[in-house]
This record gives sequence, structure tokens and C-alpha cells, in this order.
Amino acid sequence: MAETLLEMRGITKDFAGVRALNGINLTVRAGEVVGLCGENGAGKSTMMKVLSAVYPYGTWGGTIQWQGRELRAASIRETEAAGIVIIHQELMLVPQLSVAENIFLGREPRGFGGFIDFEAMYAKAAALMADLKMSHINVAQPVAHYSGGERQLIEIAKALSKNAKLLILDEPTSSLTRSETETLLGLVKGLKARGTACVYISHKLEEIEAIADSVTVIRDGAYVGHAAMADIKASDIIRMMIGREMTSLFPREAHPIGEVVFEARNVICLDPQNVNRRRVDDVSFQLRRGEILGIAGLVGAGRTELVSALFGCYRGPYTAEILLEGKPITVRTPKEAVRHGLCMVPEDRKAHGIVPDLAVGQNITLSTLDDYTSGGLIDENRELRDIDAAIAQMRIKTASPMLAIARLSGGNQQKAVISKMLAPKPRVLILDEPTRGVDVGAKYEIYKLMFDLVKQGMSIIMVSSEMPEVLGISDRVLVIGEGQLRGDFINDGLTQEQVLTAAITPLPHAA
Amino acid sequence: MTSTDSPSLTTAGGQPDTSKTPPAGSTRAVVGVTQFKAAFTRYKILALAVVIAIVWVFFNYLTDGDFLTARNLSNLLRQMAITGMLASGMVFVIIAGEIDLSVGSLLGLLGGIAALFDARYHLPLPVNLVAVLAIGAAIGCFNGYWVAYRGIPSFIVTLAGLLAFRGILLGITHGVTVTPISPGLVAVGQSYLPALIGIILAAAMFVVLATVTLRNRANRRTHGLKVPAFGLDLAKIALTGVALAGFIVVLNAYRGIPTPVLILLCLLGGLTIMARRTVLGRRIYAIGGNLEATRLSGVDVQRVKLVVFGLMGAAAALAGVMTTARLAAGSPSAGSLQELDAIASCIIGGTSMRGGAGTVAGALIGALIMASLDNGMSMLSVDTYWQMIVKGTILLLAVWLDIATGTKSA
Repeated sequence: MAETLLEMRGITKDFAGVRALNGINLTVRAGEVVGLCGENGAGKSTMMKVLSAVYPYGTWGGTIQWQGRELRAASIRETEAAGIVIIHQELMLVPQLSVAENIFLGREPRGFGGFIDFEAMYAKAAALMADLKMSHINVAQPVAHYSGGERQLIEIAKALSKNAKLLILDEPTSSLTRSETETLLGLVKGLKARGTACVYISHKLEEIEAIADSVTVIRDGAYVGHAAMADIKASDIIRMMIGREMTSLFPREAHPIGEVVFEARNVICLDPQNVNRRRVDDVSFQLRRGEILGIAGLVGAGRTELVSALFGCYRGPYTAEILLEGKPITVRTPKEAVRHGLCMVPEDRKAHGIVPDLAVGQNITLSTLDDYTSGGLIDENRELRDIDAAIAQMRIKTASPMLAIARLSGGNQQKAVISKMLAPKPRVLILDEPTRGVDVGAKYEIYKLMFDLVKQGMSIIMVSSEMPEVLGISDRVLVIGEGQLRGDFINDGLTQEQVLTAAITPLPHAA
Repeated sequence: MTSTDSPSLTTAGGQPDTSKTPPAGSTRAVVGVTQFKAAFTRYKILALAVVIAIVWVFFNYLTDGDFLTARNLSNLLRQMAITGMLASGMVFVIIAGEIDLSVGSLLGLLGGIAALFDARYHLPLPVNLVAVLAIGAAIGCFNGYWVAYRGIPSFIVTLAGLLAFRGILLGITHGVTVTPISPGLVAVGQSYLPALIGIILAAAMFVVLATVTLRNRANRRTHGLKVPAFGLDLAKIALTGVALAGFIVVLNAYRGIPTPVLILLCLLGGLTIMARRTVLGRRIYAIGGNLEATRLSGVDVQRVKLVVFGLMGAAAALAGVMTTARLAAGSPSAGSLQELDAIASCIIGGTSMRGGAGTVAGALIGALIMASLDNGMSMLSVDTYWQMIVKGTILLLAVWLDIATGTKSA
């Protein structure tokens, strides 16, 4: 067994009297990948902020032993100097600067007269990239030129250039495509071989299974257990995370499907930067009452653009004919869409879903506020009663409906955003990546809610990058590839292969 | 799994705490600071009240008791009224995540128009008031149109306004002060309310506030919501009563409530209700907090922005009329740099430059702090240049305090 690199013991952390971490242990040996698992709000990110001294020494309890000595870091700078580097979920790169400039930001090699020695910087950066088998990345290009996945790799390269001995990856693949994910996992394996240890935080258990040597599970801020990956199965991890046996990940329920309620014809979205490129290329489809329609496809295929156009919020020139219950309707703005009974839960919760400073309750009633007025004033008591009902129905975990929504965990924020878009009582609900960054327990509850809704006659369009989710929930699956509709399957024994094959097979050249 | 999942609201799982370490000395200090910060953020208005108290006591000491006289307090309130009116509109502009630099010029322009209507065209006072308010709202909407529907940053739009509106004013007045102003208009800025009417108004105010509080209890009960302790509500009512009584006694000890102050108080009441209890108010906060999320919730965000600027224009009109009335003349230089006073008042009063947070009451207290500094330093015959330096420093400190105690700084 390799020597112990890091040992965190009995870590406790309080926020204004609420205990977020309650005696958590974490051990990492040199060259080991430790998977850190737990539901949203379990305390994983808090734990890593303790480790990287985002919360400085003294604001938490317990001890951290780093390479055999107690670590008492007051700032991120100190932990980075010690060799602990954290890579955040939200990337910290400056898009306008080149790859090399980003990697050496703040540590630029200086040449004659104190000017930046660009030649040395590019050479060093290129060598680093070659070392990581990422030579295809041109270090002189601005970061903006590269995709989300490549940026993640650049971020890792940056961390390694700081001589990281322990790399903390917090949900690194939440916005990556499958192939990008595989590249990333390959890179982490390579690092392991070079002796760099890694704490890998992810909801995606198959990634943990593929890469981790051992797993530490925490739940509700408390330590649950630690086990070698060889001794444990994914189902065990799930059970430890949620503290109960999960019979099925997808609570599929039979529900009647009725007549066509919604139809989109000839949706075409042009790229705002390049009008010759069609992000959505002439897509038409129908949706029936009580149907869950999954929209699958690779990241960037145009799925979000398609549903944005339906909801009247596509940023660029587009055309779309929309029929609701047989009648053509015009949807030029989200407001018109909501009025017609068409609601959408957007993909990016932080940027488009929540108003962080407003209370949970005020977020929930944001789209239906007009219903609560009497004599021009909001009847707050009536509003609060509905809010309480929504919070109870969705099982949103919050200390109070008046708490700012930014302080809830991702899963609970998502439930509140869904609740907000259910308030106008839509006939068609569009969910764009409804379970992104949401923990297993909340996922299950969201699925269950979806089935409840379709049983009541609502129709749902769900865009999802998670194939098991698409196949486990949808009644019918549309496959989008490069903006085209490349498949329309009834989900009856549909397989992942069929969907993927459709996604990557271009349509035959038609008129 | 986002960085916002702290502090977790889930309760600890009930596992025995295996290795709890006693907090070190430094921990206690950090916790103390954190708690102080939390308390400060939570009771910002109270903190501001404490600041005012300190400033007043300080000046009172230096002026041997001349500062805290009924006469000076009445003057102080009159002085802050115009900046306060601008700040009441500005606070919503800033909450919505925008800025309006044109209000000083707009105040001058509208004050000039009011003066012209009065002196040259002899419009009756009510017609004049309505007309100027309408013009103000229209010009505000014009600003708002460019910001909301044409996507030009408000900084630029209103910077253009700052130049252009002053230009129009100089054009229509030929750069000459407009006189004479009719006694009716002058009274708007210089008269006082008779003592008895002041008392009746304060009493009526008290009855309304008490009734609302009590009715709210009943309302909550019928909706099955938690009702706060009766004693707490009673204490609140009693405190309101004492504050109202104190206010009226002090002002009546001089000449009664000054008309501009009465108008400002009406503005405070009306706009506070708008901010907290109307759909428009809630949406202004939502837009400032996250414009995209609000738009995607089906809110016509462009119209809300337009209305916010329209409101600002109307507030500038009110301030303009008041300025003309106080000076008893329409001055072509009226309102110069007052936009900065209004913005500073909002910021000192706890309005967040990031948008999404702020209150009218806070902005007015900010204006009161600024006016107190002006007034106190003038009484002490402090040189004007020192006054400017002190005000600038206070502004910087206020924002620093906001950031240092803000939860978002980490």
C-alpha cells in the first residue's frame, strides 16, 4: 500500500448554526483516485472547500493531515503551494486569453525588462500539452476557440503545471459529451500512473466505477463509509448515498396517451453568428396528450435550440409553426408561450432558472404573480399558502419559504424551478435537462412527478443527454443530430445503440 | 452539486459525532465576525439608523446643541426632500440593474418647464403639475425605450440625456433664470402644514398601520398560516406610535410639517407598498436578480424596464417642480450633479449596484445621512472642499462596508 497522502478526520463545519458537515473522514493515498459520493447538499462541495481552504483554517473543526503533517492553510494560495488543486464545476478560464496565457495566468514567465516571455510560455505550455497527450490543442489559440470538454482538459493542464499532488475534480463531466468524458477519464488514469492522486466527485456512478480505486460516501453532512472499489457495487453506493434501497431508478407507470395536442412544423433556427449554418434544420413533430416525448442527441446537436424556438426564446433568427390543439398559435416571447399553456424549465438552472436573491417562494410564484392581486396589491397570505402547498407537493427541502433560493441545494432549486413552471398550469411542459446536477433521490422524485403530471393529461417534452433517463422515462423518443430530426421511435424495447446510431447517421440528401 | 449548496439545509443524519474537536480560539473569533456580518446584513436599516444617530450626536456636540433643534431638523428634512425624491426613483432603477445619470439635467429641464408654464403661460397649478409629471414620465420612458427595446446600456443612454436635457433647458430658457413664480407654486416648496392637520394626519396614519397589522393577523389565521406572537405585533404598533408622535411633536415645535417633506413621505409610503406588495415591484427585484430567468418565467421584462425609467422620470419631475418652488425661480443650472447625490444616497442606503436588492426607506435614510453631513458641516463653517472630500469618503466607505459584509464576497 502506498503512503497516506491526505487524511481528513472528523471535519465539522457550521453555517449560521446549521451543521453542514458533521464529522467526516476522508483518506487519500498517493497515486490513488478516491470517488466522493453523496446526494446534492450532502456536503461534498463544502468538504472540498474546507480542504482547499476556501474556508480557512479555524472556521471548521477536525484535522487535516497532509503528507504526514497537519495542514493549517489560511487561503487557497497556501493549499495550492502545498500541491492541492481544486478544479471547480464552473470553469475558471478567461475565454479571450490564449490557452498558454490561461495556464500561466499570474505566473507568466518573465524575460528581459520584466516583459512576458511569450516564446518560453508557449514552449512550456506546448510541452505540457504533449505530456498529457493533448497535442491537438494549439496553445496560442484563445480558450474561447475550444469546447467545454477541451476547456476542462486545459483546466487540468493548468492544475498540473502548478505541480499538483492532489487534484480535486468537482463534477468534471456535467457538461461534457461522451467522447470528451472518455478523454477526461483517460487523462485521470494517466495521472494516476504518474503518481498524482485525485478526489473525483460525480453523480455518474459509472464514471466512479470506471476510475476510482476506493469510494467514500457521505450523506446529510455525515460520514457513511469508505470501501475499496473492488469490494463494492454501484447499487451499494446508491444505497449508502440515499440510505434506502432503490427498487428502480425509473418509476415507470402506465398512463393513457390521447390525441395530438401539440404540433411543431418546419422549425428552422439559424446560427446568430453564421446565418448560413442551421442549428435546427427543418424539424417537425407531434405530441400527444399524456405523452412523455424524449428528445435525445449529442450535446450541441440543436435540441436546446429546438425547444427554445418553441418557447419563443431562441437567440437568433428562426421560424416555427406551432399548433396547439389543432389551432395555429404565435409564440414570439416566453410570455406568449406561457399564456398559451406552454412552459419550459431551462437547461442552465443558475443562469436561466432561478433569481438567486429572491426567496424560494417568490421564485415559485414569479410567473403567476398576477393571479394573487386584489385591488392592485399582492395578497401575500394567499400567495404564501400556495407556496407552502407547492413546497410540500414537490418536497422541497428548505428551512423557510422566505429563504433566498441561492441557499438551497441544486436538486431543491430545480424542484422549485419546476414548481414555478407548473404554476401556470401548462398543457405542454418542456423540461430541458431536468435532472442535470441533481442527486439520485431528487431525480427519482422528479421522474415520479412527471408521471403524475402526464396521468393528469399534461404532455411533456424532455430534452436529456442521459441516455438511461431518455430510455427509462419516455413514451416516444426523437433523435436530433446536427440540427436534423434523425429518428422518431416508439419507446418499446428501444436500445441505446439504436438511438446513437440514428443520432450520428446523416439523413439521405432529400430535396 | 453546485457551489451554492452550502450551507446545506438538510439536517445532520443523526450519526454519533465521532471526533468532535473543541473550537480553537481563532475559530471563536471568526465565528464572532461572521455572526456580526450576518446581523449587519439582516438589520441594515437599523444599522443605518445607528449611523444617523451617531452623526447627529456628533454634530450636536460640536455645535453646542444647535444641531438638534426643531428648527434645524425641520431645515434638514427640507434640504433632503429633493434629493430624496430623486433617490426614491433611482433606487428602482438600480434595483433593476440599471443606472440613470440624466436625472440631474432632467430635474433642471422639468423645473424649467414648470417655471415657464407658470411665469409665461400662467397655467393653473394643478394643470401645471400634471403636465410636468406627464412630460417627466414620457422623457423617462424615452430613456427606457432605448435601454429596454434597443439594448443600449443605460449608462450610455442616460449620459446622452445628461448632456441633451441640459441643452434643451438652456435653449428654452435662453440661459436666463425664469421669474416671477406665482405664490401658489412657491407654496408647494416653502409652505408648512398647520399643526392640527399634522396631528390629525399622524393619528390617521397610526390607525391605518395598526389596523393593517391586526387585519393581517386575522388574514393569516384564516389561511392557516403561522401568526406571530401578539406581544411582538403590539410592540411594533407601540413603537410606530412613538416614532410618529416624536416626529410630529418636533416638527410642530417649529412651523409644522414642511410640504415637500409631506410629499416625500407620501412617496415613501406609496413606493414601499409598490416595492413589496405589487406585481411590478416584485418583478423589478426579479429582473435585477436574474433578467434571463425572469424573462423565461413569462414576464415582459422590457416593459418593466420601460416603466422603471418612466417612474424615474416622474420622480425627477416632482423634484424639478419642488426645486423651482423652493428657489421661487426656474434656474438653468438647477439640478447639476444631483444625479450623483441621488445615486450616492441609494448606495449608502444599502442598494446593491449588482441589482436585485435595495429599499426606498434605505435610500431616503441615505439621503438623510448626506443631508445631515451637508447641514452639520455648513453649521460648523467647514470649507466646501472639505465637505466634498468627506462625502466622497463616506460613499466609498459605505460601499466597502456593503461588500465586506456581503455574503457574495467569498
